[in-house]
Amino acid sequence: MTGLKASILREVRRLGSRKMYICAMVLVPVLCALFFVSLMQPGLPVKAPVAVVDLDHSTMSRKVTRTLNAIETIDVTRRLESYDKAVDAVRRGDIYGFFVIPANFESDALGGRTPTMEYYSNMTYFVPGTLTFKGFKTVAVTTAGGLVTATLVSAGADPAMVGSLIQPMTVQEHPLGNPWLSYSIYLCPSFIYGVLALMIFLTTAFAITMEIKDGTSPQWLATAHGRISVALVGKLLPHTLVFSIVGLGIISLLWGYCHFPVAGSLWWFALAVVLFVMACQAFALFIVSILPNPRLSFSILALTGILSFSLTGFSFPVQSMYGALAIFSYIIPVRYLFLIYVSDVLNGWPIYFVRLYYVALILFVPIGCTMVWKLKKACLKPVYVE
Amino acid sequence: MSNNSYKPNNMNPLKYIGHWFAKLGEVFAHEFSIVRHDAGALLFFIGLPLLYPIVYTLIYNPEVVRQLPVAVVDNSRTPESRELIRSASAAPAVEIFSYDANMADAKARMAAGEVFAIMEIPSDYARRLAVGQQAVVPMYFDMSLLLRYRALLGAMTDLQMKVMHDVTAARVETFGASSLGMASLPVESESNFMGDTSDGFASFVIPGIVILILQQSLVLGVMLIEGSSRERRRRYGGIDPKMVAGAPTSSLIIGKALCYTVIYLPMALYVLVMIPRFFSLPHIGDPADYLLFIFPLLLASAFFGQTLTLFAKERESTFMIVVFTSVVFLFLSGLTWPRYAMSDFWRFCGDLVPGVWGIEGFIRINSNAATLAESARPFTAMWILTGLYFITAWIVMAYIRKVSRTDSVPAHIPNTDAPSAPEAK
Repeated sequence: MTGLKASILREVRRLGSRKMYICAMVLVPVLCALFFVSLMQPGLPVKAPVAVVDLDHSTMSRKVTRTLNAIETIDVTRRLESYDKAVDAVRRGDIYGFFVIPANFESDALGGRTPTMEYYSNMTYFVPGTLTFKGFKTVAVTTAGGLVTATLVSAGADPAMVGSLIQPMTVQEHPLGNPWLSYSIYLCPSFIYGVLALMIFLTTAFAITMEIKDGTSPQWLATAHGRISVALVGKLLPHTLVFSIVGLGIISLLWGYCHFPVAGSLWWFALAVVLFVMACQAFALFIVSILPNPRLSFSILALTGILSFSLTGFSFPVQSMYGALAIFSYIIPVRYLFLIYVSDVLNGWPIYFVRLYYVALILFVPIGCTMVWKLKKACLKPVYVE
Repeated sequence: MSNNSYKPNNMNPLKYIGHWFAKLGEVFAHEFSIVRHDAGALLFFIGLPLLYPIVYTLIYNPEVVRQLPVAVVDNSRTPESRELIRSASAAPAVEIFSYDANMADAKARMAAGEVFAIMEIPSDYARRLAVGQQAVVPMYFDMSLLLRYRALLGAMTDLQMKVMHDVTAARVETFGASSLGMASLPVESESNFMGDTSDGFASFVIPGIVILILQQSLVLGVMLIEGSSRERRRRYGGIDPKMVAGAPTSSLIIGKALCYTVIYLPMALYVLVMIPRFFSLPHIGDPADYLLFIFPLLLASAFFGQTLTLFAKERESTFMIVVFTSVVFLFLSGLTWPRYAMSDFWRFCGDLVPGVWGIEGFIRINSNAATLAESARPFTAMWILTGLYFITAWIVMAYIRKVSRTDSVPAHIPNTDAPSAPEAK
């Protein structure tokens, strides 16, 4: 194709001429990937600092404290004398919750006067709050269960029988694909590819709008013999290559080096990543074509890129959002990559179930190209509005 | 160039102080007009803090996940198993979506995304309950979102408790131990949620996000303004004609920072006081406490932005540098992954971000009703960061002023972006 080679070479030279490109296209996604992996390396955050308020100081209350200490998710860092002091420590951020053993706990429990243990979890921080609550609840239940067992066994009951008395039905949990409940496995893939999507948006907008801003866009078109399609392929193909390599590199980091579980096929996911790179470029191209002015296109792409972390339901499910907002999740490419990841890599379902998401990723490309005639106009008469 | 000198050499100290304050006032007043004429900066200073909190809250406003579709494979088909399913479907988090004949059918539903969990009731369920053994009910969860898993797990725990209350009472009776008072537990326990009593997602995440919005929009706006200023310096031989002439570097950066802080005070009032009330998020703190608390955050963020200007050679690079950091800062703040579980290195990185302290302090004041005195640690930390970033901003500004004078060639637009000369029009 005439001009295609020249356009590609021109873009490669431009990419090499500015440190900004290597930074945005390689360094930021790679460093962010390493950041997320390293930050959440333990998988599950253990040892939330908590306090015990022991108002009883009896053998039984000390036993409860020891049980609390044995729970993995919490760490009894303080022993406080009153409820007020504990609330104060929560407000200062020293602890995430506390367990109150009432006065006369032992004598009331043995005398059948049913004392009440109280536990407080600070839910302003979701994860520590939840883990604290879970740990406290376990201790509360086992303490009660232990007392029942002791009483019944001393009354002559069969210990095996007592177990089924305390818990006649138990739900056996099978967390599919992530039995460790690891936050790293849960959050890393979606957030790292979210950052990649953001950087693809911005780099695409940067590469195109800077031509207009600097007045080099007529020359860019001239290199492609005045054909916008050739000019765009020449400009964006080198980006596609770099971003695809980065995207595939992230696969090797997460599922190769870090040994994240793979239930399905990584080859299908790798294909999805390449399609996703092109879908993101097409999305950015669409916005830039409609608004060929750096300020507006950058603002819209930056806002979309950041909002996509929330809108695509990485943490709060799309199904539970308001319908008017939930539909926006379907115009964001990373949503489809996330769904493919969940179905193929995490759960190992047959690829048949996500075939439409592949189609969706492919469809971004033709749709993204529909407005390029407008971009061509802007390129021939470059106007820069600050 | 002499009329733009900013270091008067022959001036006595007292006169210099007067000059410094005069320039400070001039920069402060002039910066408002710069902001007013920069549509990009206005968008970030005004538009973003106005709209973003609303958009975010609307996304998360449903707060909790309810009615999660669950498939049931009932191999027992007894009154007991049907009773169990009825009890399960009574939980707000659970909606029994389908009764499937076997696990293969249920798995196909899960793969198609119709259900998020499968409950498999074993064929011996009723028999085990009847003979006083423990019945085990396997439950398979889709782990794509921990929020859904957590909601379903909570419902299952409650279900276990309910079956226990129903069955144990009957068993103790037949066992003949009711005389021991074992029909109820010897110890009761009571759970209390502090701060976010609704246990909702918006209530937990929004107070943190709004602080980050304040910091990031401020940093973006500052960098846009400074990026433009650097472009002008390149164009006009190292001088920014729109800048107050003869201002000492320190008065320049302080004057600008004060201007941004004044613009942001009404924004902070809106974001911190009104947004939680609009959406009935937790707001039990004293507004006086957190409005005082937020002041060093704004100042530190302004200096932080001026420091980062070092990397913004032109307006557009700002986006490339700053936007992705929002995600990194969100994680460093400990909102998702708690700070006590971070390595020392990442905790230290978080310590350097004003918003991380801002989130910590604001959440405690707003949701836990802490006082300013109880938030002394984050408050002090933000003032220390204000000092630190003032120094770095001063160094960066002095460097830019020096380098742009020696580097630029007047009347020529250095085009670092394209290797070839620009063609006019």
